Amino acid sequence: MRKLDKRAIIAAGATGLALVLTAPGYAADTIKIGVIAEAQAVAASSIPLAAQLAADEINAAGGVDGKKIEIVSYDNHSSAAESVRAFQRAVNEDHVNAVIASYISEVVLALEPWTGRLKTVMVTPGAASDVITQNIAKDYDNLKYTFHGYLTSTSIADSVCAPAKDLLVDQLHMKTAVVMSEDAAWTTPLDAEYIKCLPTIGLQVIDHIRVSPDTTDFTPIFNKIEGEKPDVIITGIAHVGVQPTVQWKQQEVPIPMFGISAQATNSSFWNDTNGAVEGVLYQAVSGPGVAVTPKTLPFVAAFKAKYGNFPSYCGYTAYDEVYYLAEAFKRAGSTDSDKLVDALEKTDYVGTIGRVQFKGKDSPNPHALKVGPDTITGLMLQWQDGKQTNLWPANVANGKLKFPKFIKVGAAN
Amino acid sequence: MLFWQILIDGFAISSLYALGATGFALIFGVSGVLNLSHGALMVAAVVAAWAAGNDLHVGPYAGAMIGIAVGFVASMITYFLIVRPLQQSRKIREQEKEIFILTATLLWGIMLQELIAYFYTNNAKTVAPIVEGVVRIVGVRTPANEIFTAVVCWLVIGILWLLVNRTRAGKAVLAASMNPRGVTLLGVELSQVYIAVWAIYGVLVGVAGVLLGMFLGVSSYSVGPLTASAFSIVVLGGLGSVSGALIAAYVVGYLETLTAYLISPAYRTIPALLLLVVVMYVSPRGLLGRR
Amino acid sequence: MGSLSTTRVLLIGLIAVALAAFLPLGVSGYILGLLTIAFYFGVFAMAWDLLFGFAGEVNFGPTFLIGTGAYTAGILDNLYQPPIWLCVAAGALAAVAGGVVLALPALRVRGPYFGLTTLVAVLMLQNFVVVDASLTGGEIGLTVPDVITISDAKNYQIALWFMAISGAILFALSRSPVGLILQASGQDAVQAGALGFNVTKHKLTAFVISAFFSGLAGALLVFYLGSASVGTFIDITVGVQIIIAVVIGGRRTILGAVLGSIFIIAMSEALRPVGDLANFIVFAMALVVVLFFPNGFFGLLTRSKETS
Repeated sequence: MRKLDKRAIIAAGATGLALVLTAPGYAADTIKIGVIAEAQAVAASSIPLAAQLAADEINAAGGVDGKKIEIVSYDNHSSAAESVRAFQRAVNEDHVNAVIASYISEVVLALEPWTGRLKTVMVTPGAASDVITQNIAKDYDNLKYTFHGYLTSTSIADSVCAPAKDLLVDQLHMKTAVVMSEDAAWTTPLDAEYIKCLPTIGLQVIDHIRVSPDTTDFTPIFNKIEGEKPDVIITGIAHVGVQPTVQWKQQEVPIPMFGISAQATNSSFWNDTNGAVEGVLYQAVSGPGVAVTPKTLPFVAAFKAKYGNFPSYCGYTAYDEVYYLAEAFKRAGSTDSDKLVDALEKTDYVGTIGRVQFKGKDSPNPHALKVGPDTITGLMLQWQDGKQTNLWPANVANGKLKFPKFIKVGAAN
Repeated sequence: MLFWQILIDGFAISSLYALGATGFALIFGVSGVLNLSHGALMVAAVVAAWAAGNDLHVGPYAGAMIGIAVGFVASMITYFLIVRPLQQSRKIREQEKEIFILTATLLWGIMLQELIAYFYTNNAKTVAPIVEGVVRIVGVRTPANEIFTAVVCWLVIGILWLLVNRTRAGKAVLAASMNPRGVTLLGVELSQVYIAVWAIYGVLVGVAGVLLGMFLGVSSYSVGPLTASAFSIVVLGGLGSVSGALIAAYVVGYLETLTAYLISPAYRTIPALLLLVVVMYVSPRGLLGRR
Repeated sequence: MGSLSTTRVLLIGLIAVALAAFLPLGVSGYILGLLTIAFYFGVFAMAWDLLFGFAGEVNFGPTFLIGTGAYTAGILDNLYQPPIWLCVAAGALAAVAGGVVLALPALRVRGPYFGLTTLVAVLMLQNFVVVDASLTGGEIGLTVPDVITISDAKNYQIALWFMAISGAILFALSRSPVGLILQASGQDAVQAGALGFNVTKHKLTAFVISAFFSGLAGALLVFYLGSASVGTFIDITVGVQIIIAVVIGGRRTILGAVLGSIFIIAMSEALRPVGDLANFIVFAMALVVVLFFPNGFFGLLTRSKETS
C-alpha cells in the first residue's frame, strides 16, 4: 500500500508541477490580439512578425486611446486541430480581444464555427477560400465574427485574368492554356473562376489538372501537359512550390508558368529553388519597390530593418489588420465583440496593399474584401535575374516580359 | 514515346531507391537492426548540402560532399548513442531488445525531423545539381541530372559489391551477417564489423540523400515516407538479402512510375503498398529472403 | 504492481478519479482542456498497451484504429448529421472492423513483419484520407458541424469518466485469465500454444478490444475538438507519442499509460515558451527514458523485478 501511495504522490506532483508551469499571467488595460500562424511555413512566418511591428508602431504613437496593443503568438504547426486548441486557449486562458489567424483555408474554416461559439473576432491575413465568406451569408448571426482580410479565390482568379489579357493575349498572342493547381479548398473556386474568365479574354482552357499537395515528383504531370501543347500553364499552387518549379526548370518544360504560385512571392524563393524560378510569373498583392500605396514601401523598409528579411504577402495583410483592428477598437470605444464587428464593417482603411473595405451583410460574400481599381487590384510579377520585377498594372510596372531560353514563346523581349 | 519516358524516369527513381534500400538491408542483415531513422538521416544529408550551398555559398560539389559527410556523422551518432547502448543494455530482456531499438530509432528519426523543421522550416529543399541541362535519349528529353543520378547510384553499389566480395574486411562483414558467433571464433572483432557497417551505411545514406535532393528535393515531411519506402522494399526483397532489396527497389520504383503516369500521380505509392501486403500475406520471407 | 490485488488497485483508481472530478471547481478552463485531451490520449495508450504490453506485438498502427474511428464518426456527421452518439458508435464499430481487417494478415506474421504491416496500414489510411480530400478534408483537416458541448467542465467530466471506465475494464481484463493467457502468448507463444491455448484467437480478441477503445476514444475526441486531421489522428508522430506514453508510464501496467499520457501532454504545454523545440525536447526525454529507464515510471517506483 505504501509503495502505491508514493507512486501516486510523485506522479501527481510531477504532473501538477508541469501544469503549474503553464499558468499564464495577464495584464489589464491592454488590447490583446492573438496571432495563430504556421511559424514553420515560409509564407506564414511573417504574420506574427508583421503584427508585432504594427503593434510596436501603434504603441509608440500612444496606443489605442492610451491602451497598449499586445500580440500573443501561437504556432499551429499547419494543423487545423492545433489551431482550434490555440484559439480556445487564446480566448479562454489568455483573454485575447481578437484573433488574426492563418493563411490556410482549411484552418480558417475549422476556426470559423469557434468564432461564433466563443464570440471572438477573427480576421485572416492569407486564406483564400470563398466558402469562408459564403458561410457567413448562411449564418450571419453566428459567424459575423469572421472577417476575410485577404482576397477570395474568385477575386484572385480575376486578378490573374486581367494581366493575362494584357500580357499573354495582347502582347504574346497566346491562344491556349492548361490550368494546373493543387488539390485544396482554396483552389476549387479559383479553378472554377479561371475556367470561366480565361475564355472571355481569349485563352481556351484545353485541360484542367489537379495535383495532390503531397506530390514530390512532377515529371508525369509536366509530361502530360507538354503533350497537350498549350501556350501557357495557368497555375494555382501554394502548398507546393519549390519542387514543381525546380523540376519544371530541370526538365526544361518549354511552356511558361503564369498565375498563382504563393511561395514565389517570398524573396527567399530564388535561393530556395537555386534560381529555377527564373521566368515564372506570379500574382501578388505586393512586390519589391512597388509603391501600391504610400504606406507600402515604408512598411517594407521597417520590416527589413527590424527582422532582416522581406515580408511575405501575409505580412502585408497582417500588418494592415492590426492597424484597422486598432481603428475599429477605437471606433467601437470598447472591446466587446459585437461592437467590434459593427465597427469593423465600417472599415475604410488605406493599407499596404490597397484600400480595405469589407462587403456588407447582404452580399453573397459578407466580410470579404472589396476588389477593383478603387480598392485592391493585385500585381503580376516575374522573377528575372534574381529579382522580382513587376509587370502589371502598367502604371507601377518596372520591367518587361523576359523568358529563359528553353521556353518557346513568340515575341518575348 | 510514353513508354521510353516511363522506362527512363522509372530507372532513375528505382536506382535511388536501390541505393537507399541497400544501406537499410545491409544494416539489418549484419547488425539485425531495422533503423527507423533511415529517412531522417537521408533528409539530414540533403538539408546539410542545401544549407552549405545557401549559407556558406559553396559550389555543388562541395555541398554534396558536406551532405555525405553529415549523413556519415548522423549514422555514427545513431549507432553509438542509440543502437549500441540498447544492444548492450542489461536492463532489457533479449527478446525485447528489437522492440526497444525499433522504438528508439523511430523516436530519434522524429527528433531529427523536428530539428530540421525548426531550423529550416518544413518547406521543400532542393540541392543545386552538379550536372545541369537536358539530353535527348530516344527522342525523350531527360534532365542530365537523372542520368547522373542513376550512374552514381550504380557506381556506389558497384563499389560496395567489390568491397564486400573482394576485400578481406568486406568478407568479414558478409560472414558476420550469416553467422556472428562463428565469425568471432575466427578472431574477427565483431564490434569493429558493426562500426564498419554503420560507417558504410552512413556514406550510402548520404549519397542517396544528396542525389534525391538534386533530383526531386525533400522536405522535413519526407522523413516518414522515405523510411517506409526503404522498409517496404527491404521486406519485399526479403529481410537480410541485399540483392533482393535491389530487385525489389526496381519493382517498387517502376510500379510507382507506372502508376503516376498511367493512373495519377496522387495514387503513386498505393500499388507498391498493396503489393507489399500481398507478398507478406503469401510469402512472408519476401522474394529472396533468408530470415 | 503485481503485489496488489485487482480490486485494491481499482479502488485506489476510483478514489483518484473521484478526486480528479472535483478539479473543475478550482482549475482554469484551459487546464481542463489540456487534461481532457490527455485523458482521451490515455485511452489510446491503454488500448495500445493491451496489444503491445500483453500480446507482445509491437505495432506502429494505433493510429490506424484511432484514425478509422475518428474519421468515420466525423465524415458521418458531415454528410448526414445524425445524433452524435450514433456517429461515435459508428466510429467505434468501424475501428473494430478495421482492427479485424488488420489482424488477419498481421497475425500470420511475427516480429518486424507485424510491425511493418501495421505501419503500412497507417500509411494506407493516410494516403486514402489525403487523396480523397473532398470526403475527408484531405491534408489539413475535416471540420464537423457539431461538438458535444463547449463547456470546458462538461467535456472534462466526460473525458475523465470515459477514461476511468475504459481503464477499469482494460485493467480488469489484463488481470483476468484472458489477460494472463495474452501475457503468456506475448512472452512465449510456442509454450502457450503447447499448453493448449489458442494463441491466435486470444490475440485477435486483444486486437478487437484495443480497436474498440481506440476507435471510441478517437470518435469522442473528434466531437470535442470539432475537427479531425491527419496530423491529430493518423500521423506516425501521434503513434509514436502513444508508444512513448506507454513506455514512460511503464509497459504492461495499463494504468501506467495514463500517467505517461498526462506527463507527455503536460510537458508539451509546459515547454510551449520554447516554441517549436517543445516536441523535440519531449521526444528527447522519451529517448532518455527508453535508453536508461526502460521500465518507465512504474518500473522506477516499484523497482520492478524484471530480470534480463
